[in-house]
Order: sequence, then structure tokens, then C-alpha cells
Amino acid sequence: MQVTNSSFSKILGLNRRNQEYVRPYNSSASKAIADNKILTKRILKKELIQTPDVYKLIRSKRQLQFLDWKSLPNSFVIKPNKGTGGSGIIVFYGKKKGQEAWIRPNGSVMTKRDIILHIENILEGRFSMGSRNDIAIIEERIKTDPLLKQYSYKGVPDIRIICFNQVPVMAMLRLPTKRSNGTANLHSGAICTGIDLETGITTYSMHMQTSIFKNDTYKLIDSTLDLQENKPLSGIQIPYWNEMLKIALKCQNSSKLGYIGVDIAIDSEKGPVVFEINARPGLGIQVANQTGLRWRLEKVKDLKIKSIAHGIRVAKNLFGGEIEESIEAISGRKVLNITERISVYHKGTDISKIKRLRTVKKEIVKAFMDTGILTSRISSTLANRIGFLTTNKEIQKFNIPNRFGSFKEAQEYLDKFEKEILQIPDVKRLAKILEDGEIKIRPVFEVPIKLSDTVKVTEFVSTDAQDSTYSVVIGRSELSGYLIDTSDTF
Amino acid sequence: MFETSGITQWLFDHGVSTMALELLIAMCVLATLVSVARYIFGTRTYGIYAPILLAIAYSYTGLKYGLAITLVVILTSILSYSILKRIRMHYITRIATNYTILAMILVLFFVVIDRFGFNLENMSNIPPLAFISIAALSDFFIKQYIKKSFKGSILPLLSTIFVAIVGWFVISRDVISEYMLNNLWIVPLLTVINLLLGKFSGLRIKEYFRFRISKENASN
Repeated sequence: MQVTNSSFSKILGLNRRNQEYVRPYNSSASKAIADNKILTKRILKKELIQTPDVYKLIRSKRQLQFLDWKSLPNSFVIKPNKGTGGSGIIVFYGKKKGQEAWIRPNGSVMTKRDIILHIENILEGRFSMGSRNDIAIIEERIKTDPLLKQYSYKGVPDIRIICFNQVPVMAMLRLPTKRSNGTANLHSGAICTGIDLETGITTYSMHMQTSIFKNDTYKLIDSTLDLQENKPLSGIQIPYWNEMLKIALKCQNSSKLGYIGVDIAIDSEKGPVVFEINARPGLGIQVANQTGLRWRLEKVKDLKIKSIAHGIRVAKNLFGGEIEESIEAISGRKVLNITERISVYHKGTDISKIKRLRTVKKEIVKAFMDTGILTSRISSTLANRIGFLTTNKEIQKFNIPNRFGSFKEAQEYLDKFEKEILQIPDVKRLAKILEDGEIKIRPVFEVPIKLSDTVKVTEFVSTDAQDSTYSVVIGRSELSGYLIDTSDTF
Repeated sequence: MFETSGITQWLFDHGVSTMALELLIAMCVLATLVSVARYIFGTRTYGIYAPILLAIAYSYTGLKYGLAITLVVILTSILSYSILKRIRMHYITRIATNYTILAMILVLFFVVIDRFGFNLENMSNIPPLAFISIAALSDFFIKQYIKKSFKGSILPLLSTIFVAIVGWFVISRDVISEYMLNNLWIVPLLTVINLLLGKFSGLRIKEYFRFRISKENASN
């Protein structure tokens, strides 16, 4: 769904988020957990949820003075315990040989003295909420999963899942870019990509406008921005998807935040690792998913969710299936299953009336999508039922041979008798077809059908195959503009 | 222009000066303006204090002089902080150094204006407290600059200045300030407006733009 002016009622704004979701559903105690990374780690650990391992906690300048630098691994991350919006976080990729200096993702080097100064700033609360004194955390650097690594510039991509009332309601993938300097923060210039809740496949992608005056607006993009090879961003299957939904709900349970945003990264060795939980998750996720949060939150507000599995089931049923819609939006094509229920209207039905009247005579049948044939086919039994009985009887009077030795022979027959047979009302033309391994000549009728919400008059070859499972087979002349999903075949 | 109301006169007779009352009413109006800007328009300023302080300072300096001093303060802060951040030093000392540099530049600025004019001849008549209030903007800016990027701090700076200009325009109209001075029921009305704004849960004007994808982009 594209966010248009008419769908603004579905959008969740900051005012409503704070008034109706954050304040009533997130208690001060729960918010205190989310705003404190050390406390979050402790609580999640009880639920056996993985978070980055902590190497050191520095609470005072004295502790900093006695920090054993040699015990630190070559790569690590320094972050403030109560930091906001990713400020104060520094990632180190490696150590300079023979020196007490570490290398940052952009190639710059920070010496021990620089790092000490940065940690002192953290301790003074320079990057923390309310600028109170803080604790510096030195923790493990996540090694990005190879699949997601190819879409991001240097930093660690993460997946944000917003849950409300024990139901995951929306998710997005955040990909660091050159502009975001390797961070997954949307305001810094990271790419956000919507995720279909049912399948865990990415849909739309957005990027913040570069102009500072448009700082809070996004543009739609379809591939990565600044990597050597531009890769399409839609259709990426997020690994561990179901596990991640489970983890997000577990985080909600353990933190008791009614409205929560859970940030999960995928480590190449450990799998999903929770980066942080957020009591006031941002609203950019709506742009990435091209749909509003408000209607989703309203939908699950009063549900009684019995278990984590139940919550996931509800989410998939209520909000899943965006991937088909997004494929339609991206490629301009709709997705059809290999077998689809279609409506076949009776002969001569005025299609302009079909949309208005519900009482129009029709047969609902299961049709098979077959790109191997050009013209669609309808069984003579069904054709008779929808009003072509007399026409078929008239055709039988011509005693058209049941089979022909070759298409040439069939064409010769047509050249001789076609004009005469076409005198029969409702016969559009005659077609030479291969049916059950035999070359036949069959009449073609025009029949109104409804296929995937589209009503149109379609040419059908009336067949007399007795053993066909499907009374209607849709050929490729009707399938242009559609993508066929064959996952239901077996 | 307006007849002095009974309650206003009573306040004047009981130790409240005209200037104090004018300033207090202006503070209420400016605070409400900041709330409207934040919750209706989605304008993010450096908190509520900075735009109020700036608007009141502008009402003393005049907009032209106020904006000129603001420009000097911001440019100096950007420049001095960009240099100072390369030097290993503690945060407060860095800010203090920034203020000392700012003081020197402001003095230099006054001398330059005295020498060359630039249509700002009456600079020496500006009350010192007014330009010191504007200089305080430097602290708000640098705090934001440290936590966010340069871009991330310039947008709230421009919003703060914009809201302050609107505030200056409202409080510096004689007709408005005189009307409010003699119609003190405006103050409880502003309280009610703020209470209502506090309950407002609709989309902010900015969000209508934020959550709209332009047709040009959508067709990509």
C-alpha cells in the first residue's frame, strides 16, 4: 500500500504514539530497563536471549585508569550505557600492529589517549539522556552475517521489529551506508527496507532525502546506494525470520514494555543477537513498509494473545502477504497462484453489470494457470452449463473429424469449412489445438471471467477432454502482466 | 490605546512593575508558541528555553541587530568548536574556551561595526544582557553538535531561530502587548490552550510531508 493523503488516518504520528501507546503501555520501570543497556542485557540473559558479550564496564575515571588494555580483543565496541540515537558509539575493527591504537570502520585511527578521552566524555554523560553521569560499555563487535553484509556499507545491519500486545506488528531492515558512516541510524542516512511479516522477505526501500531542509522525508530506492555493485533491495529473505519474531516477543515479555521496538543483528557465528530494546521506537518504519502503524496497532489492541506462537500466528495472518502486493508495486505485476479460483459468467453477460450486480449468474471454478498454451481452454461440459449447449449441438452437426494427422491437414479442413461453421452464433473462430496428443479443431467462444479482481471477456477454446482435472485452463495470452507463484504446486 | 484594567492596575499598585508583567506575559505567549510549533507543526527547537530567551533578546536588540549577533555567535561556535574538538581536552574546558573565543570575536565584531557600519550603526545601544542571552545559544548548539552530526544540529538551530523570530514579532507589537497587559484573562486562556495541546494526538504538519512519498519517487 502506498501512503497517500487518503491513508493518513492509518499513520501513527509522534503525538499519538506518545499519548496512546508509549505512556499507557510502557511503565516508567519498563522504560528504565530499555534506556539502560546493562539492565537490558541482564534481563534478556535470563530469557536466554543473546546480546553482545560485555568485555568491560567502566563506571569511574579510577576504573578507567586501571583498565587492562591488553586484555581487550582487537575488535570491540565502546558505547554509553544510557546513550540515545546511537551517539557516543565507536566501533573498532582492528588494532594497529605494535601500537596502542585501534582502527575505525572509516579507516581512521584512535590512540589509547583518544579512547580514554572518549570514555571520559561518556562518563561525564555527554552522550546520555539528560546528560547525567554514565557508564561506558566495552563489548563484542558483531560479525555481520555474510548474506546481509553484501547489502551494507561497513557497519552492522539490523532488523527492527515493533511488537504491541504480544503481536509483531511491523518490521524493517536497516542497512548502513557510506553517508551513515556505517551506522544503522535512519537519520544518519542508513537505508530502511520494509519486511513482509509472513515470509521475512524485504519489500520497499527508503532513504532519507539528502537536503537538510528535507531531513525528515524519504525517497523510494530500489538498490543499494554506494557499494561497488548495486544490489536490488527487495526480495531478500531475512535469515532466522521466525526465530527473530520469537526473540522480539520474548524481549517484550521480559521487559514488560507493551509497545516495543527490538533491534536484532545477525552474527555470522552466533545467529540473532539483540542489540537493544526501544521504548519509543521511531516512526520511519511506516515509510519503509508503505503502510501505517496506527491501524495495525488498533487491530491487535484488544486481542487476547495466549502464547508467543499465537502472537506470531496472528501477526502473519493479519499483516502478512505484503510481499505479493509489493511485487505488484515494484514490477507492476500481480501474483497468481498456479491454481486460482475464478468466476466464469454465463454467456452474453454484460460485464459492466458484473461490478454492480451481485445476482449475475456465474460458476466459481478452480482454474489452472498454464503458460504452455496460448489460448485459454474451457471444458465443453462447463461451456454447456454457461449457455453454449445449443452452440455445441450445432457444431456437432458438422461432424468435424475427432482428430487430424497433421496441422496442415487441419488447416486444409478449416480452409474448406470454416466460413460455414462460423455462421453458428457465438462461435468466434475455430482453433487447431493439440489435445491429449491429438490434433483437433475446436470452436472458440468468448466468455466473461473474473481473474484476480479483473473482469474481462476472454477467448476460450472449448475442449472435450474427459480426464482433465480442471474445467478451465488459463493460457498465456491472459497471463501477461502476472507472475505465477508455483509454491502451491506440490 | 487600551484602558488599563482593574486587575492590571491593582498589580501595578502592589509591587509588580510594568516591565516585569510584560515580560511574564511574553514568556507565557512564547512558551505557547513553542508548544504549537512542536505539537502542531512538528518544529523541533533547542527545548523551550532557547527560543523564549532568543525572542526576548530580539525584542531588546531589534530583529536586525539580533540576527546579526546570532549569526556571529553561530559562526564563531562552529569554527571554534571544529578547531577545539581536534584538541584533547575535557568537555567543560572546551565549552569555556569556546565562550572566551566568542567574547573576543563579539568585541571585535562591535569594533568592526563601529568602523565600517554595515547598516548596524546603533550596536553600542544594545543592552549587554540581550547579546549575552543570544550568546547562550552557542551552548545549546554545541551540546546538539556533540550528540548529533552538524546537519542534525543545524536544523533545530534554524527552527529555534525561526520560532524566536515569530515570537519576537508577536511580543514586539505594541498593540498586542498592550492588549495582553490589560486583558490578563489571556494567561489562563494560554494555560487552557497548552492543556489541550497536551492532549492532541493528531498528525503534526511535518508528518504529512514525512509520510508522503512524492509521485516522482513512487514511480521509480
